Amino acid sequence: MKFRGKIVDVACLNHVTRVISTISKLTKTCVLRLTADNLFFVLSGKVANGGVSMWCELSQANVFDEYQMEGVSSEDNEICLEVTPENLSRALKTVQNAKAVKVKLTKKHCPCLTIAAELPTLSSISRVVTHDVPVDVIPRRLWHEFKEPSMPDFDVSVYLPPLKTMKNVVDRMKNLSNFLVIEANLSGEMNLKIETDLVSVTTHFKDLGNPLWGDDASQDGGPSPSRDPEAMAQARVDIRKLQQFLMGQQVNPSKAMCNIVHERVVHLILLHEDVSLQYFIPAVA
Amino acid sequence: MNCLLEGNGVKVFGKALHALSRIGDALWLDPTVKGLALRAVNSAHSAYACFLFSPLFFQHYSLGSGSEQGSGSVNCKLLMKSILPLFRCLTSIERNVERCQISVSTPSDRVVVQFFCRHGITKTHNLRFQESEALQAVFASHLCPNVLKAPARLLCDMVMHFPSSQEEITLSVTPLRVSLTNYCEEGKDPMRTMYTEMSLHPDEFDFFQVGVDLDLTFCLKELRGLLSFAESHSLPVSVNFSTAGKPVCFSVEDVVLEASVVLATLMDSESRGPSQPAETLAPVTSRCADAAVLLVGSCEADSGEPRCTPAVMDLVASSQGSPIISPPPLMLPLLQIDEPNGLGELGEACASLTTTPASSTICSLLFNALSSEQDSDGYDSRLPVLACYSDGEESMEEDHTGSPSL
Repeated sequence: MKFRGKIVDVACLNHVTRVISTISKLTKTCVLRLTADNLFFVLSGKVANGGVSMWCELSQANVFDEYQMEGVSSEDNEICLEVTPENLSRALKTVQNAKAVKVKLTKKHCPCLTIAAELPTLSSISRVVTHDVPVDVIPRRLWHEFKEPSMPDFDVSVYLPPLKTMKNVVDRMKNLSNFLVIEANLSGEMNLKIETDLVSVTTHFKDLGNPLWGDDASQDGGPSPSRDPEAMAQARVDIRKLQQFLMGQQVNPSKAMCNIVHERVVHLILLHEDVSLQYFIPAVA
Repeated sequence: MNCLLEGNGVKVFGKALHALSRIGDALWLDPTVKGLALRAVNSAHSAYACFLFSPLFFQHYSLGSGSEQGSGSVNCKLLMKSILPLFRCLTSIERNVERCQISVSTPSDRVVVQFFCRHGITKTHNLRFQESEALQAVFASHLCPNVLKAPARLLCDMVMHFPSSQEEITLSVTPLRVSLTNYCEEGKDPMRTMYTEMSLHPDEFDFFQVGVDLDLTFCLKELRGLLSFAESHSLPVSVNFSTAGKPVCFSVEDVVLEASVVLATLMDSESRGPSQPAETLAPVTSRCADAAVLLVGSCEADSGEPRCTPAVMDLVASSQGSPIISPPPLMLPLLQIDEPNGLGELGEACASLTTTPASSTICSLLFNALSSEQDSDGYDSRLPVLACYSDGEESMEEDHTGSPSL
């Protein structure tokens, strides 16, 4: 197993740092899959994280100027590592003004992702910074847990309102209740509802638009054409999970969508440049 | 004591308090002829900070009437949590406060802090103080053979690579390279800790004088306050040190103020005895084996050997409640203790090794009380300088003859 990458472009460095920083706000640890073409940050839905799962994909060519990856074997040409994204994020943040950043899989006191950079100085000899981020290599027999999630059989798909607005609403609702109901319909309407003994609060969003998933969607059993466009599909979720998702977003994505499987799962999809981030929040009773 | 600060001076004063609050929970306010000294020490006595504001810093500075005390002023010990909130929000102070008057009122045991604000508003705060000996660490920083000087910006750039939660770091100095690495405490799992190293060339320092290659491990957390202060005033920072195990002093100065932080450093692990008896002790005490005991008993210029002045009569209140830890053998030669059970006075000093997370690895600066009664062990009570701290319960002499401040 071998991995070496070099980032020279400051925009690319910025980009990957922001992605990893977003991931670090969503989860404490996750799995990093390195393949020939892509980097995946995966969190598999386990009871421990409240059933939440995450899948983030970015293309390595948009990050690294040089990229050498030799996987576990030639048939399984990829590397799976368990990492703490917070450490990676911190390491990358300190080297933002470096001329070049090298990322390598190394073995120090334990397997590490070593981030090394030279920082420019006024004198001729630059400063050198090295961060060794400890990682755990995931054995091949467990790789099946970290496969790309399939698009769920959703009932409604809607574009999200501006994330900042949504975050403000959810932040305030969190003070009142632990659970929130997300509902949407095919007429571009979405409601966020909380209900307690004392009070119920609903925020209505209109004219959001519904993404068209095309023929593929209907083949997968997407929203059937006969579905009443006014009918709401809803799911009741733990409000903190939704808040965590919204807190982490630093950039306004080019596309933000929400698929709801009635009373089963809320599937959030963010697309920005070449990065796609999917977040699944299971519904609770 | 009575002093008046104006405008920007209030903000600087506040910033100094912020830096001192990183060190300890109590603030010593010591008015002297040379100026107003603000001092703090941490509970394990492994970090000490002193900000000395010269009379020029103030609009007005006077030491109070001679009738009150022999020296004309009172040394006050305040709780940091009573004075820091007054200066908590520096931006609002900058906006609203025009003048600030600080005075010590002995009859009522109060320090009075008055803010004269815009719109004719005056805020008066009365803070209870405890009379106390002036706190001083004896550390002859000018005698340290190794000196580095750099703009605060450089040091801040060096430490920014480490998370704010990082406790201890190791500064490694060679003629070719200066590097900082985070120090992994034994308690934490070394397999899980992120290891960071940053290094740069000595040329980046304004002044670089280092005799031998050495590694100094000290607590970064306690230093950050001073670095932040220095950076906000663009002051160059001097770093004075001798060897691992001896204290390191970071200081800044300008025309009207001097500030320094003295930190204990970890002793070299190579000097650990082969028998390693410390490992049979509880984890806390095993760290003592590594720790440097900063014994500052004398200001003799050529006393490279830390001599222990066993006349430690008074220890900080915090240590009196601590269990007596029998000092690991490594420390014995330094402490010159005969009883390994540490029941001697210096054993008590070891008891001041508290298990504070930041300093469990680092042993303390010893503060010896200055008293003419301290010659019971036959040590020369005329030792001119002794760091003084006591609870003030004994009737201690108030004047300290010729004690140099840092």
